[in-house]
Parts: sequence; C-alpha cells; structure tokens
Amino acid sequence: MQDARLYSLSAIFQTPDEIAHAAEQTVERGYTAFDVHSPYPLHGMPRAMGLKASKLGYVTLVFGLSGAALALFFMWWVNVIEYPLVIGGKPLFQLPAFIPVTFEVTVLMAAIFTVVGMLFVIFRFPNTSHQLHDTPYMKAVSSDKYGLTIQALDPLFDEERVREFLQDLGAVEIHRIQFDAEEIEARPRIFEPRFVTLLILVALLVGPSTYIILNHVLYMPPFDWMMEQQKINPQMKSELFADGFGMRSPVEGTVARGHLPYPFKGQPDLAGKFLVNPILPTESVLELGKKKYDTFCSPCHGNFGDGDSRLRGQFPNPPTLHSDKSRGWSDGMIFHVVTEGQNIMPSYASQIKERDRWAVVHYVRALLRAKHATEADLR
Amino acid sequence: MSFVDYSVEPPVVEGKPPLSSIDDAIIKPIDAKPTKAWFVAIAVSGTMLLIGAASLAVTFIFGVGMWGVNQPVGWGFDIVNFVFWVGIGHAGTLISAILFLLRQRWRTGIARFAEAMTIFAVMCAGLFPLIHTGRPWLDGYLMPYPNQHGLWINFTSPLVWDVFAVSTYFTVSAIFWYVGLIPDFATLRDRTVSRIKKIVYSILSLGWRHSNRHWQHYEMAYLILAGFATPLVLSVHTIVSFDFAVSIIPGWHTTIFPPYFVAGAVFSGFAMVQNMLIGIRKIYAIEHIITIDHLEKMNKIMITTGMMVGYAYGMEFFIAWYSGNSAETFVFFNRALGPYAWAYWTMVICNVVFPQLFWFKKIRRSIPAMFVIGVLVNVGMWFERFVIVVTSLSRDYLPSSWGFYVPSIYDIGILIGSFGLFFTLLLLFVKSMPVVSISEVKGVVEGAQPSHGGSH
Amino acid sequence: MSRTEETRYWRSLRDLADHPEVAQLKSNEFLAGVTDESDVADLSPVSRRTFLALLSASAAFAAASCTNYRDKGEVVPYNKQPEEITIGKANYYASTCTGCSANCGILIKTREGRPVKVDGNPDHPVNAGKLCVRGQASVLDLYDPQRLRTPQFKGSGGGFAEGSWEEADRTIMSQLAKTAAEGKEIALVTHTVTSPTFRKVLDAFMARYPSSRTYSYELFSDRFRSNAWIRSYGSNGAPVIRWEAARTLLLLEADVLATEGDVLEQIRSITKNRDMNDPRHFSRIWVAEAGLSLTGMNADHRIRLKPGAQFEFVMGLIHEVAQRRKLSAISPETSVVEAIGQYPLAQVVARHRLPAHLVEGLVNGLVSHRGESIVFAGSTLPEEVHTAVILLNEVLGNTGLYDQRVSRVQYSSEATMEDWVLLVQKMREGKIGAIVHVDANPAYHLPQELRYAEAAQRVPAIVTLTQRENESSVISTIVLPINHAFESWGDFKTRTGQFSLQQPVIEPLYATRQKEAILLHWASGSTTQPDASSYHRYLKKRWEEEVYPSIKSPVAFSRFWHAALHDGLLLHSEKPIARGQFIINADWLQPLWRETDQFTVLVRPSQNVGDGRYAENGWLQEIPHPVSKVVWDNYAAVAPQTAKSLGVENNDIIDIRAGERRLQIPVFVQPGTAEDAVVIEHGYGRRTAGPVGTDVGFDVGSLMPVEIRSTPYIFSAAVTKGSGSYELVSTQEHHALDDAFVKDLHLKRKIIREGSVAQYLNTPDFIQKGRHEPESITKILEYDGVKWAMAIDLNKCIGCTACVASCVAENNIPVVGKEQVELGREMQWIRIDRYYSGTPEDPVVSNQPMLCQHCDHAPCENVCPVAATNHSPDGLNQMAYNRCVGTRYCSNNCPYKVRRFNFLDFRNDFADGIYAEEPMSALYNPEVTVRSRGVMEKCTFCIQRIMEARQVAAEEGREIRGSDVVTACQQACPADAIVFGDMNDPQSKVSHYRAHNLGYHVLEEINVRPNVTYMAKLRNRQTENPA
Repeated sequence: MQDARLYSLSAIFQTPDEIAHAAEQTVERGYTAFDVHSPYPLHGMPRAMGLKASKLGYVTLVFGLSGAALALFFMWWVNVIEYPLVIGGKPLFQLPAFIPVTFEVTVLMAAIFTVVGMLFVIFRFPNTSHQLHDTPYMKAVSSDKYGLTIQALDPLFDEERVREFLQDLGAVEIHRIQFDAEEIEARPRIFEPRFVTLLILVALLVGPSTYIILNHVLYMPPFDWMMEQQKINPQMKSELFADGFGMRSPVEGTVARGHLPYPFKGQPDLAGKFLVNPILPTESVLELGKKKYDTFCSPCHGNFGDGDSRLRGQFPNPPTLHSDKSRGWSDGMIFHVVTEGQNIMPSYASQIKERDRWAVVHYVRALLRAKHATEADLR
Repeated sequence: MSFVDYSVEPPVVEGKPPLSSIDDAIIKPIDAKPTKAWFVAIAVSGTMLLIGAASLAVTFIFGVGMWGVNQPVGWGFDIVNFVFWVGIGHAGTLISAILFLLRQRWRTGIARFAEAMTIFAVMCAGLFPLIHTGRPWLDGYLMPYPNQHGLWINFTSPLVWDVFAVSTYFTVSAIFWYVGLIPDFATLRDRTVSRIKKIVYSILSLGWRHSNRHWQHYEMAYLILAGFATPLVLSVHTIVSFDFAVSIIPGWHTTIFPPYFVAGAVFSGFAMVQNMLIGIRKIYAIEHIITIDHLEKMNKIMITTGMMVGYAYGMEFFIAWYSGNSAETFVFFNRALGPYAWAYWTMVICNVVFPQLFWFKKIRRSIPAMFVIGVLVNVGMWFERFVIVVTSLSRDYLPSSWGFYVPSIYDIGILIGSFGLFFTLLLLFVKSMPVVSISEVKGVVEGAQPSHGGSH
Repeated sequence: MSRTEETRYWRSLRDLADHPEVAQLKSNEFLAGVTDESDVADLSPVSRRTFLALLSASAAFAAASCTNYRDKGEVVPYNKQPEEITIGKANYYASTCTGCSANCGILIKTREGRPVKVDGNPDHPVNAGKLCVRGQASVLDLYDPQRLRTPQFKGSGGGFAEGSWEEADRTIMSQLAKTAAEGKEIALVTHTVTSPTFRKVLDAFMARYPSSRTYSYELFSDRFRSNAWIRSYGSNGAPVIRWEAARTLLLLEADVLATEGDVLEQIRSITKNRDMNDPRHFSRIWVAEAGLSLTGMNADHRIRLKPGAQFEFVMGLIHEVAQRRKLSAISPETSVVEAIGQYPLAQVVARHRLPAHLVEGLVNGLVSHRGESIVFAGSTLPEEVHTAVILLNEVLGNTGLYDQRVSRVQYSSEATMEDWVLLVQKMREGKIGAIVHVDANPAYHLPQELRYAEAAQRVPAIVTLTQRENESSVISTIVLPINHAFESWGDFKTRTGQFSLQQPVIEPLYATRQKEAILLHWASGSTTQPDASSYHRYLKKRWEEEVYPSIKSPVAFSRFWHAALHDGLLLHSEKPIARGQFIINADWLQPLWRETDQFTVLVRPSQNVGDGRYAENGWLQEIPHPVSKVVWDNYAAVAPQTAKSLGVENNDIIDIRAGERRLQIPVFVQPGTAEDAVVIEHGYGRRTAGPVGTDVGFDVGSLMPVEIRSTPYIFSAAVTKGSGSYELVSTQEHHALDDAFVKDLHLKRKIIREGSVAQYLNTPDFIQKGRHEPESITKILEYDGVKWAMAIDLNKCIGCTACVASCVAENNIPVVGKEQVELGREMQWIRIDRYYSGTPEDPVVSNQPMLCQHCDHAPCENVCPVAATNHSPDGLNQMAYNRCVGTRYCSNNCPYKVRRFNFLDFRNDFADGIYAEEPMSALYNPEVTVRSRGVMEKCTFCIQRIMEARQVAAEEGREIRGSDVVTACQQACPADAIVFGDMNDPQSKVSHYRAHNLGYHVLEEINVRPNVTYMAKLRNRQTENPA
C-alpha cells in the first residue's frame, strides 16, 4: 500500500560531468523508467541515456509535403473547376503565380504540426499535475542543479538499492516523490454547478449580443453593404413624392415615343370602320393570341369564348362571343373593345401590348371559326 | 576597451557567472516592481498608441479619404509603413534562425529579444493591409473562402500572397518564440512564490519538466523551425517586394526587388534591434550577457547590408538607362530630380553614406555613435519605401494623370500610432518575460556542458 | 519525508483507485480517451439531461442570433398601370431644351415616369440627336434640392416667409392693377423669347397692363452681328451658315465649337470636313483670337490677336484680297474703298507683330477657296468688325454659304444698354411701379456699375419667377417658384419652318407653376386659381387655331397634335425671310473703340455654367474647362510672357482696374493667350446661388462697363499684381512647356500620334511603321461571339466634354467638390486629356478622351486580391462593386489611370451632403449601382445598356449585335468621334477602325492589349500641306 503511493526516487547532482556519468551508470544497471533533468540541454546526454535519435523530422516532412500538395490542388480546383474566371487574359491554371502560396502553406503546416506533434503527442503536454512538479527536486533542476529520477514502476525498482546506487553516484540530495493524498479522495464531478451556471451565462450573453451585432450594429454607419442605395428601383417607396409612390404616372396629355394615344377613344364605330389588323394570322401569332387570351380573357369569357366563366359567376357572366352580333364585328371593333373595354369589362390596354391585342383578335376569330366551321373549313 | 583581439572568439557570456546568478540577472526585472523610467516610457508609448487609435477611428468612420492618398497615388503611408515594419521584423528571425543555423553562438544573448521584436513588428505591419482598404469591415474577403455567389479570392494577386506570407510568418515566428520560452517559463514557475504568477507560468510552461528525454526532441524541433524560418523570412520580403515587382508601373516593375528588399529589411531590422538592445542592456545591467562584441557584430552586418542596398540603388539607375525604356528612365531621373528628390536624397544619405562610418572600429564600438547611425538607417529605410511607393505612382505613363501626394495628419497619426503599439508591446514584454533565453545562456556559459559531452 | 512538507497546489480531477495499474496509468500521463475510467452509471441522469438541454438551448440561441430580421422595405406597385409604361423599361419623350436660346430638341429618358437622362432628339434638324454639356446636365437641376418649393414673401425684416399661391396672385395682381392705373411702368424682364405662344402670353399681359414693357436680353447675345446684318442687308438677324460647304474657315474670336451660336450644328457640320476617310476634302480652320478657346485648340492655324486689333486685321484682309482681285463681286463707293485703303495688310501685320507667312497663307487660302470659304466674327466683337466681315465675305463671294432655305426668327427685340440705363434711371426716380423677373436674373447679369439692385429698392413691387433663389430674387418682394423645363409645356421657334415642342415628363415635384401659366393667370385677371394644365390648354388652343390651319394638315387636329408631341417638333415648308440687297457705308467701317496701350480685357461666355444660370449645377462645375481643365472657378487667363512682365504666376491675384470698376482675380497662365490681354469667363462669382454655386469663381460683372456705343465685353484696363493668392484647381497637372525634362512626353511615348494630311496622302501607313505586335508568353485567349471594342477618332474629337456629362448622368457619378478635386479625387469615368506641345506662345494642342481601355491583358485584374475585377466572356473588364474591398491596387497598376475610387462617401461629404438629400435619389439611374465609399469604379462600356440590348435580342430570339448598343459617351458625342461595337464582326465600323491605317493603341509596348483604338489626328497646316 505504502509503496503504491511512491512515484520515484530523485537525486540531485552538482555538475554536468557527474550527471553524465550517473546517466551512463543507470543505463548499465538496466533501469529503464528513469529520466535526467537539467535546466538546459546537456550535450551528449541522449547518448549517455541511450536514447534513439528523434523521429520528429519525419512528422515535419509528411505534413510539409501534404501542405504543398493541398495548397496546389486547392488553387487548381478553385480556378479551374469550381469558378473559372479569366483574370488578365491569363490561362486558368497559372503555376508560377501559385508558387508563393504553395510555399507558405508548406512552411505553415510543417511548422505547426512539428510543434504540435512534439508538445501534445510526444510529450503529452499539457500536464501540470505531474508528481515531479512543485518538488524541491524540480525547483533545483530548473535552476542550476542536475537531477536523476528513477521511477517506482521500474521492474528492477527496489527503494533501498536504488537509494544506495544513487548515493554511490554522488547525489547531494535524494527525494522520495509520492502521489498526493487528495487525489485519492477526489470524486468525479462532470457537472459542477459552477460549470453549469457558466454555460448558462455564456449562452445568455452570447445570444443577444450576437443578435444585436449582426442585425443592428453592422447596419449603422459607417458600415455600408450597398444593400440600400440612393436610387429608386421599380416598385419602391419614395419620400420625395407626397403619395409615397416611387413609380409615377405620365403627365396627362403627353406622348411618349412609340406610344401614340389610341385615336378612337369612345368611338367604337369609327374604330370598327378604320382599324385593320396590321399583322397576319401566322401560327406563331395565333400561339401568342392563345397565350394572351387564356391568360386575360378566358377567366370571364371561358376557354372557348362561350361565356362560361371560370370564375363561376363571382362576376356577372359575359355573353358568349359566338353570338351573331359579336361574330359580325370587324377586327377593329374587337380590338377596340379589348382596348377600351365595354359595359363592365375593363380596358386591357395596360395588360396586353398593342401587338398582342391584335394577336388575340386573330385567336378569337379562330375560335369563332372553329365553332362555326363550314364545309370549306373542314376540307 | 580600446583593443580587441579578433583572432580568438570572445566568450559569449563575459566572466563565468554561476548559473543561478543568470536566473537572478534575467528574472529580477520581472519580479521587481516597475521602475519610474519604465512608467515614463509606457506613458509615452501609450500616448503614441492612443494618437494612432484616434486617427484610425477617424479613418474607419469617414474612409481612407482622410489620408493623403489620391489618383494616381493610391498607396501612401499605409503601404510604406507596412513594408517598413515587415522589414524591421526580419532581423529577429535572421538572428534567431539563420545565425542559429550558422552556429553563431553570440546570438544567444540577443535572440529572444530579437524574436519578440519580430513578432511585434509583424503585428504592426499586419495592421496596415487591414486598415488601408476602403471598406475595412470586408477584409474577411481576403481569406480563401467563397462569397455568396461562389466567387473565390484571386490567387494571382500579390496581395493574397501577402496575406498568406505575413500570416504564416507571424504564426511561425510566434511558435518559434514560444517554443523557446517554454523552458524559461518552467524556470519562472519553479522560482516564483506568488500564487497567481505560479498559475500563469504553469499554464504557459505546459508542465515542462526539463527532462532530457524532452530536451532531445526539443532541440530537434528548434533546429527544424530554424530551418524553416530561414527560407520563410527570405520568402516573406520577396513576396512583399512582389507587390511592386509584379506590377507594370515603371519604378515598380523591377526584377532586382526581391534581393534588394530582403537586404534592406535585414539592414533596417538590425538597426532597430541594435537601438533597442543598447537601451535594454543598460537598463537591465546585463552588459555581460549582451556584450559590446554582439553590438559590433551587428554593426558589421549593417554595413554589409547597407552596401547591398547601395548597390541596388546604383543598379536600378544603370538598368533604367540600359533598358532604353523611356518611361523607365524617366521614373528614375524623376526620383533624383523630380518633386520628390528630397526624399530620394534623404534615403541615399542615410542608407549609403552614414553606414560607411562603421568602417572605423572606434565608431563600430562606440555606443552613442552606433545608436545615432542606427536611427538614421531606420529613417533612411522608411524613406526608401516612401520613394518606391509614392514617386513611382505620382508620375507614371500618362503625363495627363500625374499627381502629387501629401500626407494628411491622420497618415502621420497612424505612423506614430504604429510606433506606439510597437514600443508598448515591447515594454510589456520586458516586464513580463525573460528578455534573454535563460536556458540557452546557461547552456553556453563556460563549463556548462559535460567535459566529454563534445562541443559544437 | 511526509506529504505535509511537500505542499501541493495541483489536483488531478481524475479518479484514482488504489492499485498499481492506476499508478502506472497515471505515470504515463494522459491516454487517449480520458473518460474510459468514468462509469456512466455513476453520473446522475438529470445532469446529463440538463447538459443536453443546455446544449440545445445555446444552439437555439446561436441560431436565433445569426438570423437576420431586418426590414427589406415594402413593395409599392402602380394602382393603375399606365398603358405606355412597362416596369423596368425606359420611355422616351421628345421635348425641347430651354438651357439657352438655341432651343435644341431633346429626348428625355424616363423610368417608371421619372426623368433620369436627357439626350438630343435625333429628328431635330439643328442638334440632330446631340446635346451639349449644359443640356445633358439640366436633368440635375430638376432634382436639385435647392429648388424653391412654395411662394416666398419678403417680410419687414428682409427675410422671406413662405406663403400660398392665392395670396401671391392676389397681392401681385392688385399691385399690377394699381401700377397700371397710376400709369407707372411695369417692367417685364425676360431672356430672349423664342416661344411664339409665350410671346402671345406676354402680349396678353401687356394688353391687360398697358403700362408694362418687356426687357428681354441675353448676357451674351449676337446683337452686334445681327445689327450689322440688318444694316447691310435689311433682313432680320444673321443667317444660318452652311459650314459643311466651307473649305477654308476664318474664325475671329468666335468659339463656334463651344459657346457661339448653334454649337451642336456647327460642330457637326465643321467636323464633317475633318473625315480621315476623305483626306482630300479636309477643311482648313484658321482662328484669330486673344484667349485660347476650344475652337482655337482645334484650329489648324491660330493667330494670337488682341480683340482690339480684329478690326484692322479684317480690313487688312479686305485690302489684300481687293488687291489680288478687283472688287468685282460688289461695287462700293469710293469712300469705302478709301476706308479700306487705310489698312494695307503689311502695315497691320507689322503693327501687331503677326506671323507674316501665316497671314500670307491665310490670304492665299481665302482667295483660292473663294466662294467656299467663310469668315466669321464672334459675338463679343463690336459692330464694325461684323460689318467688315460681311464685306470681306461679299468680296470673297462667300454669300453662297448663307443658307437660303431657312432664316432665323425671334419673338423679342433685344434690350440695349441704353434701355437698361433708362430703366435704372426711372427706377431711381420711382417711375417704375413693378418689376417682374421672368426667369431672368438681371441683378447678376447687368454690369454692377449700373447699380440695378440699389435702384430696385425704390421699386414698390418686385416679383421674381425662378426655380432657385438668385441675386434678383433676394431683392424682390415676392418670389414665385416655377417649373423646371421637364415639368413644363411649351413651343419654340428659332428658324423658319421649324416648330419645336416641349412637353412635361413628370408632374411638378413641388407647389410650382410654369412661368407662362403665372403670367397668363395675371393677364386673365381671374380670381379663381388656375389648374395645373391651364397653359397646356392654352398652348393646344393656340396651335389648333393658329398653327394647325396654316399647316393645312390632312389629319385631324388631335392626331396632328399628338404626332407633333410625339416627334417633339413640326417641320413644314415656310418661306425664309429673304436677304436684302447688300449695302455698305464708309461710316460703318470706322472703329468706335480703339484699344489703349493698357491691357485689354476680354470677357467670354463659359461653356459649362453658361451665363451663370448653371452655377448651382455640381456636374457642370466639376466638368473640367475644355482648355485649362480648371474646375469650380474662373480666372484671368494671361500669356506666359505677360505673366512674367507682371511678375505673377498661377494662382497669384491680379488687380484689374478700369476707372471705378475693379476686380481682383487669380491668374492662370494660359499658353497661347495674346500678350497684354486678359481673358475672363463670365457666369461665375454668383453671390446668391445656393450651397453649390455661391461664391464659386469671380464675378466679372463688377468689371463690365456700361457701354452704350460699342461692345461691353472688350475694354481697356490697368492690371497690376495684387496681394495674396487663390488656389485654382485643375484635373490635369501643369508642366512648364519649356521644361525639357517633361516636354513632349506624350509624343515621345507615342500616347499622341499625329501627322499631316499631306503625309497621310503620301504614306497612308505612316503610323503603322514601327508598330509591332509584342510577344506574349501565354497563349492569347480567343473570344468567340461578340467582343466589345471602341474606337475614338481624334480627327473628329474636339474635346467639348459632352461625353463626360453624358457619362456622369448615365452612371450615377458623384460630385466631389473643389477640395477633393484638388487632392486628385475627381470621379468622372471618362476624361479628355489635353496635351501641349510647341512653344508656350503658340502651343499645339492635342486632345485625347481617356477611359477604361478594357485591356485583354488587364493589369488591374491580376492584382485584385478578391477577383472583384475580372474579364467577361464578351471581352469587358468588369467590376463587381459589392465584392470590392478597396485596396486601390488595381488603380495603382492601371497604366492609364482611369480607375476611380470612392475615397469618401462623396454624396455625404460634398456641401454638407446636399446631394445625399431625398430628391437626388430619383435622379440616379436604377440600372446602375450607386457605389458606396471605399469602392473602386470605372468605365463599364455602359454594361447596363449592353444588358438591355441582350434582353431585347433574347425577346426577339436572336443573337445580340454590336450595333445594338450605343454607349452614353458615343450617344452624346456631337462630332460622332466615338465608335462602339463588336470587333469580331468584320462588317462593323469599329473593326474597320481597328484595322484602319491611322488606328493605334496607347502604350502598345506594355502589351496590355487595350480595346480602345485611337485614330491618329491629321493636321491640315498650310506649311506642310500647300494648296
């Protein structure tokens, strides 16, 4: 029981030569779980302790090379595969331009992994609770003394004989290093209340602050993401105009280029007389007409102009287009009605472009004709 | 010391102090209460830092328009300072890495401090690329990740190379420095009696135990890092010089830039280290650890690099004439005779003329003289960057778009601020960490190594 | 030793059982997986659940925090969408520009019913689709936040208070009635009236208030020319000249390419004869002037001549020509012959130290091209010069160049200086009951010597109709805000057979009325307020009753009217006023004014701010002066020699005194200025213009004489070096012309390549010699499909900067202000580089529009760290604004320095953020990003127009063609010097230009492969090209 609590016997030596000699002796005696401590690296000590050469270099090599490969591949992938862009008229893969970055990444990875490998893998650092810490032994060796430690778990370890051995080597002091008592009583507590409250506090702190920063602070001047620009896009509000409409209507009585006003306002008969369909009923025109008719006309007039509203009488149903009256109408007349509307039917001038309106007229004609096909048509 | 015998290598550490006394010498200033001098110093540097912060705030709020930059001179103090500070940084790595590889034992005394300087200088340098952008809050775009439209960064841009180079340089230097510090932290940990310091040092030392099983890997790692830092330091300033060399602006588009910049960097860096050390060794009374021989050696390096730089100046003119390219020729005549001639000649006198005094041993070994020259060299090297950046831009191809650059007070404020940051960090460093590598120095004290343990 | 003496700070959290394995385990420090030991059963399940709960809670928190709830604004559709509007598509309205009395036809581009850009009306015979700088910029005035929004009443304290229109009309009409009743005069001050309907309104007004009288004027009118004409020919006003027919042009102090007459027409027809594809018919332009003008820059030969010497010069020429060939064309009385006889050319040349060989060549040219040459004198020159010029043209038999088919018409007679003197006299005596400033600003325009403002204090009622407060409004009792031209109706007629119509494109933004409507209302005397369309009805009615019948149109009036509005003009056959028989009188050839040995001051109109009415327009203030490149100022231009003798340099203040009159103004040493002459532009130094225009430059009005007999624009004065200096800012650094260090760099570096016509005829490929394709280490990318390119013909480009204005308007380019320009931060995407070579006395000027060259090997792209600028598949060097972080590296690496950086938020920075105010948002082109601070920008070849063309092509189911796209600068160029299109289309004009013998690229040797080709300028100097 008592022995189990012993970690090691550690001896202090005065001079580098003594410690070097001691190390060699220890190896001869066949101790394996031993270590030499000195405030600075002692040359020749690894040999004296019979250590093999450090393998650290291989770590460096592997990670350095993989860094180079990674960087080069990454840049190739970005510029050639992921988002090819012509930059300065150069080819997509520009090896010379990629060399600097490749080099830097190589060095970075090599350096980081060498040190990480050494400290955290080989040394298993951080370890601030090693038995040797805070012992007079450690204080001595970290300043100006040289120390030799033989661990209790060494198969050859026998406290008395080790003590003698060390004294023979000329140790000035010998310390018994033991595991400390408190550690044995220590119970595992993964959720200490302090830790839990900390978590909660962090959450409470991080949440709101992130929200405020992301959604408010970052939109205060001087931050400018060009999301809101000093211009009026279509369908935007504008403070400039009293009614707030960013989009304005043209002044009454003005004429825009290519938009001569409809000449037969309120004169259906004139329209019927003078207006002639300027386009020919080609297939594409009829297609266009059908598209527009189905979109704008069919909701009321029905798909085939029978006046069977798809809106099922939410509005008064319009008369069928196949009445003799409407069949008698000239193209111009139909165009006029589409343009100006009549009775309860509104004007479709702003929804359907002029040319499209004429196409619709053609399509309606086709509908009428389909319904009242003559022998000639069938042939 | 009127006579020095150069035939024998002078001892790195004068006398044969007991190892524990080295601890005391180096650690005393850390444990002791800060002196009045230190408080005065930190007050001054702090004020400078605040001036910089204020100027920076104004710039951030209103835009880089607060500076003197314009069309055609799109870069001014910002990039000049960037290159200047990166240059300063290089001396540290050179001393700690290259001299280490060259087995220059005299470096041990000054390496730690030089490395610290490297890190702080690179911090100052790294600041400028970040603040010189028009929309600093978008600096993240310089990182290699795609934006919402899947657009990546442009790997052919020297600025991207800078990002990689400077960040790598900073990281590696920091690691190098920290690895060097671990054993010293352990020593501090085992010395101190204050509980707080104990906790801090224990964490910093990661539980280092001076074990020789560790020392073995440790030395290997140190060697590898040094091996990497050496090409790295060369690459960094090469890449910085690419910012200019890769462009097509006459006066920038020059193949001589990489070596020229590296030499210049070492030049200014050593000047800075030398200046700083002169102060440190006096204040800490560690003249026996950082000896006059160290300083002299540094002066020798300064005169060498200074002459390299001078050669570059001459060569630029020769090539400009030899190339027969009228635009090229014009730019260099414009440097020497144009509106910025004053800057050019300041540069030449400070960088080429004054260092020649180091031919005289007396001056090489005279503290005040070398200090003054060191300061002049730094001034000169700053102006070198100014000449390269500003004069080339102010008069390039089309005479119609020529311009003139005048720095604003905010430019100057930020320059001051960068020095403030540098000195503040330095002062905090000397108060909180061993300015000299304890374990290394112990290792080179006479008789510190086993007699049969073979020596280097 | 015991544990107690070994004090331990450090505790392990790990479980420790009492057996050796654990000890060993411990000695080996951590193994992988710390928790292998810990038994899950030991742990209380609650705590685990709490843990999970916490985990999810924090996750939820994080999720919530990172979401973005910001209000993205609301969508406001049309209530009733107008038929002609398709959202996202522009509409165009034909109208008329009222910026000056030329009244060019314009085409206003509107988006969702908001005017955003204005260009020339292609159908208009005078400007044929082009528009000058001022016209281009007039759209800014519409949205100018400084516009008055309500009627203003002067309070007792002198300050102005807002009021209602009712109140205004009531008070004014009663005052007018009262004045009329008292028989006191009502003075209506207007600019030249070019609108027949407005004339009718004025007549109606005067009919109602009989005691009223109109004073119409222009700061710079051509009254001397037309007076001379009326005298010599009896017809009214000067003729329209067929410039395109002239082989030799002699322009005397006449800036016909910038400020004189119908500029756009003149540019078009004069540059027609500078066609590189027809070098044999190159015209030769001679200019004799004091100050280097835009026209002077483009002359083949320029003779520096003080204004006072012009008369002798012309007489000398007449004398010489008469010597050469008998005055057969006309037969004057002996008195005239004697008058001419006093001026042998040799003497004139000797007296004014003129270059004899040049004058010799000039005479040869005039004589050999008689009948197809023209001599033209500027409107600032006194009457006798114009008379002499008429005579000279008669002698040369050039009358054929006077257009017979059309003659000018005017609806107002110019108020002479005498009229003004009398008016002011009567004002002092209190004989003037009321003054109405109808959109005119006499308080600024009249010579200060006249003391108009002071006299105005004796006038009980002064009403000013204006858009913005000005010098005349501040001395008024009531100020009425009027519509901008884009909110107004109107018709104009400047020439026989040409009606030009004006229609509004947006409802008035504020409670304003158009000036015609206001006067009409007063004339009607009705007490009910007029509605918005009152003048619309009036105009339409007049047309229906007066114009329509006279045209005898076959279609119904409504159709006729709408067609006229649609076209913006009405062309009909109308007999021009015939030119009468030429008469000449020796008395008319006596100089009324001779210059003294003092300095001669010449006051000239400004191209950008006009007569000062555009002083408040930031765009125009910032567009560089075409010659000096000075912005935001006027100055006293003097010759280098004169500057030396005065001991002054640029920016030094000089003190100009003429009797009581005095002006202190900075000097600008302008190469090419005549010695002992001081040339100053009017239109600056506005005392009340608004935050943008007030006190910009110096007011020459304080120096102008009240000259009754002769011209007020030319007078003698004493000039001395004043005290202090004043910073003049120009966009182009000035280099001493004689500094060998920088002299002729633009030629040495082959930035400018020129030759003579003769050289071109002999060796057409003289430019191509020594041109070689630079090697490229990488494979040159092939572009299939459309590849955009531009070509600029330097033979046509005169440097008028109309392209700059158009670009500014199209691409939402901010105004930065004088201070920022001084720092070198102007934002215009296209600039006109001006290079001097030759001597400081007689500089040879080369212009070169410089814009992004869209290089195939763009150096800017390589260095951008974030790939914000890169190449499009159709060969454009494109900018992704929202990707740009603003490192300015691209700009540094641009050999042409055409990139522009938003160093500050200029809209907020300039003039206390006046251009960040609400109205401006309506001005900006919705298709173009409004760049924030910290963003790099540059010419995009009008990518938005290219995209629009693509859309149209897609709708029509075809590939886009190069000819589908017209860039803003190209559209504006009055000389059609800019060609844009698809270089991969062998038929396209641009690919012809690229292959042309005169085509070259700037800085070819650096192998950036620019896509803007410049066509080398050919000069037609008599020395190199005899005959």
